[in-house]
Amino acid sequence: MSDPLEKGEQDTLYIQHFNEEARPLPYYLEKMSGYQAAKKALAMSQDDIIGEMKKSNLRGRGGAGFPTGVKWGFIPKQSSKSKYLVCNADESEPGTFKDRDIMRFTPNLLIEGMVIGGHAIGANIGYIYIRGEYAREAKLLDAAIEEAYAKGYLGRNILGSSFSFDLTVHRGAGAYICGEETALLNSLEGKRGEPRVKPPFPAQAGAFGGPTIVNNVETLAAVPFIINNGGEWFSKLGRIEKSGGSRLFCVSGHVKKPGLYELPSGGITLRELIYDYCHGILDDRKLKAVIPGGSSAPVLTADEIDVVLDIDPMMKIGTMLGSAGIMVVNDSYCLVKLIKRITKFYAHESCGQCTPCREGCKWMEDVLHRIEHGHGREQDLQLLLDIADNINGKTLCALGDAAAGPVMSFVKKFRSDFEAHIRGGKCPSA
Amino acid sequence: MPKCLVDGREIEFEAGTNLIEVAKKGGINIPFFCYHPGLSVVAQCRMCLVEIEKMPKLQTACSTPATEGMVVKTHSDRVKQAQKATMEFLLVNHPLDCPICDKSGECDLQDQSYLYGDANSRYTEERRTYLDLDMGPVIKKNMNRCIHCTRCIRFGTEVAGIHEMVAVKRGNFTEITTIDEKQLQTEYAGNYADICPTGSLTIKDFRFKKRVWYLKKTPTICEGCSRGCNMEVHHESETIYRCLPRENKLINKFWLCDEGRFNFRHLHDPTRIITPAQQSGGLMITDWPSAVNRARQTVQNKKTAVLLGSDLTNEEGKMLLDFTSNNVPGAVIFHFGTPGVKNVADDQDADKILKRKSKTANLHGMERLGIKPFEKMPAGIEAAIVIRGGRAVLPEIKGVSVVGIGVFRKSEADTFAAVLPGAGFAEKDGTVTSSNGMDQSYSRAIAPPGQSKGLSEILMTWANSKEAGHA
Repeated sequence: MSDPLEKGEQDTLYIQHFNEEARPLPYYLEKMSGYQAAKKALAMSQDDIIGEMKKSNLRGRGGAGFPTGVKWGFIPKQSSKSKYLVCNADESEPGTFKDRDIMRFTPNLLIEGMVIGGHAIGANIGYIYIRGEYAREAKLLDAAIEEAYAKGYLGRNILGSSFSFDLTVHRGAGAYICGEETALLNSLEGKRGEPRVKPPFPAQAGAFGGPTIVNNVETLAAVPFIINNGGEWFSKLGRIEKSGGSRLFCVSGHVKKPGLYELPSGGITLRELIYDYCHGILDDRKLKAVIPGGSSAPVLTADEIDVVLDIDPMMKIGTMLGSAGIMVVNDSYCLVKLIKRITKFYAHESCGQCTPCREGCKWMEDVLHRIEHGHGREQDLQLLLDIADNINGKTLCALGDAAAGPVMSFVKKFRSDFEAHIRGGKCPSA
Repeated sequence: MPKCLVDGREIEFEAGTNLIEVAKKGGINIPFFCYHPGLSVVAQCRMCLVEIEKMPKLQTACSTPATEGMVVKTHSDRVKQAQKATMEFLLVNHPLDCPICDKSGECDLQDQSYLYGDANSRYTEERRTYLDLDMGPVIKKNMNRCIHCTRCIRFGTEVAGIHEMVAVKRGNFTEITTIDEKQLQTEYAGNYADICPTGSLTIKDFRFKKRVWYLKKTPTICEGCSRGCNMEVHHESETIYRCLPRENKLINKFWLCDEGRFNFRHLHDPTRIITPAQQSGGLMITDWPSAVNRARQTVQNKKTAVLLGSDLTNEEGKMLLDFTSNNVPGAVIFHFGTPGVKNVADDQDADKILKRKSKTANLHGMERLGIKPFEKMPAGIEAAIVIRGGRAVLPEIKGVSVVGIGVFRKSEADTFAAVLPGAGFAEKDGTVTSSNGMDQSYSRAIAPPGQSKGLSEILMTWANSKEAGHA
């Protein structure tokens, strides 16, 4: 198979199939080499599959960017407890909508990826934890799973092999925190959706105490491509070291052509994405800010968008690619209002377990609310930075960092906007 | 044993021990709120953050087991800043009503605020408040003071075996409450207040009775059942205000049942007989010589049974055996205590936590002294001496004259020939034998009230006045 990404949108891995809801099984079998990879993988040893995954340089698409093959390798070969493969389909990071489309258009791709993943780690039970709001996608998945059972792609002795795998869709109840893998596992077990203390990591003791791998939808959907074409092939799809494959970028906000874009990992810069692919800024106004990886990624100014779009280059300039939910803001929108809204989101979604996040997020929201409405004080900016710093890196899970990072970056990079609010009592851009 | 380095001090530890306990062993205090050695670790309060070499982020000491060669700093600038930050966060929504809070003076939040916090607050927003909730007769809740450590929730599910405390709502609005706002059901509710690191859960019985810094603390053994839970009596001016559990890993760990915790109240019962008394058409107050005289006359030259409550100490039991053979020759001796629990074989666990079937502390000690259980009065008995500490349930005694020694309520002793008022469990020194066979000693916290006396003094008076009568 040649490099599909060279030829433009028609030959992308995913997006070329994204135009008819729930591509039926015959389409999947015919046009997407459906379940060929599963068949191939079931004849491979677990080590060979994991080896292929490592070669592919596939890095987790949920946000942290951890190499998937390495993660699978953490699962102990022997375990007295059942192992589990859990798909994190909570996709609750604001600005992210890629997993929804994978599940909506090509649910079989995810199912096949999970069968292979299950075999690779020795799990016979899989769960797709899908956010409650994705009711339609949950229904489509359920139907696809039912069909897969009927055709023998799921259940006992899949495709005549000795491997059995059961897959269940579990709907969440609408909490952002349940996208955090250990909170997700708690929720899956019927407990309150709160992150757990790590260690133990899920690979040692996850769902119901058994060794568990939690992977993002896009990550698992990439697995059949890797098995079909080899890890090396997948790795070469990426244009940057240590990051293979293509990935889905969710662009929203003030661009002329927002939407889902599939591009090679590290293939283009943020500027190219905004101006070439998305046709530039809405109303031809000035670009003000870009939130590059879901709302928890530190913000970038208009001068910082020449960064190559991938995990490591983004980290180098102090932000993150995260879930690749890119939100573009032009100069018509009040940034104080924007960060207030983002902070309100995190304060609302904080689970309330640990002190800095529970108390700090709401405190930041209150201070930002005051500033936005003209009741700010000069010392508030330092206070905001202090609170954010006191949350950052000191919480039980990553939600605290997700709330603190944006506040710190907005205040540092757009300080004059805040000062204008504080001194003038109202928004200068309004 | 492996070793690690905490603040430059080399400390040996057993594999698997967390850093809080390891540091404690080396005399270094790491502050915490949500951690409790008797409960699971949740690492929620973030107060115990420490710096560990080769780890970029600060780590919670409660959830980090020490490893060989680990280098830990608990007083670095980074750690101090994190502690200060956590204190600030914990106090932004705390009402700071220490002057009217019962926990004041023994409050973890207050103490650590002084040690690790800042005297000034930068918080100017509106404080979070919650509605009140009636949690039943034992515990008073004040959610505004809560710091969400969830110790109470974990105590309920992990120790008391009942899931009644929960966290509801989320984030800043999280409320710790009971399921469906019901009253607490557990018979171990007092522990909720003990482990609460703030004044959020306090004991109704103790509220506003006494500032804690006035209280003297005397270690004792609970007399509520044969478990022998280690307990501390808190008292001032010969009045007991409360009892708290004392740690004993072999017996009660950190806990105490409500029955044992509030048992001390019987010592302060207003109807307790605290002056010598004798029968004179009703039980009448008299003086010691008259009462002792009446007591002796009651049993003199009569077939007598001596009944020992199994709430007496081993020393008292031994003393009574000697006294009986010397002064009431020919008397038969039995012990009594809990209806339906005659001997050690009957004394089983009454629940899965601490309670035992024998509702007196020293059934096992009485048996060890060779005393037989009381079943019914042998034929021909004309008089009885009943000695008890106040908790043993009196057996039915009919048709004989009774002398009571020890702690009795008026209603219990109305028909007695004489009552010689004695000392209850916190009013004397002694040793009791717990259900696991351990002898445990305790010492006197308060003096016996009124004209009550210790048993040895009463028995000496009895023995000596007899000689005086002969002379």
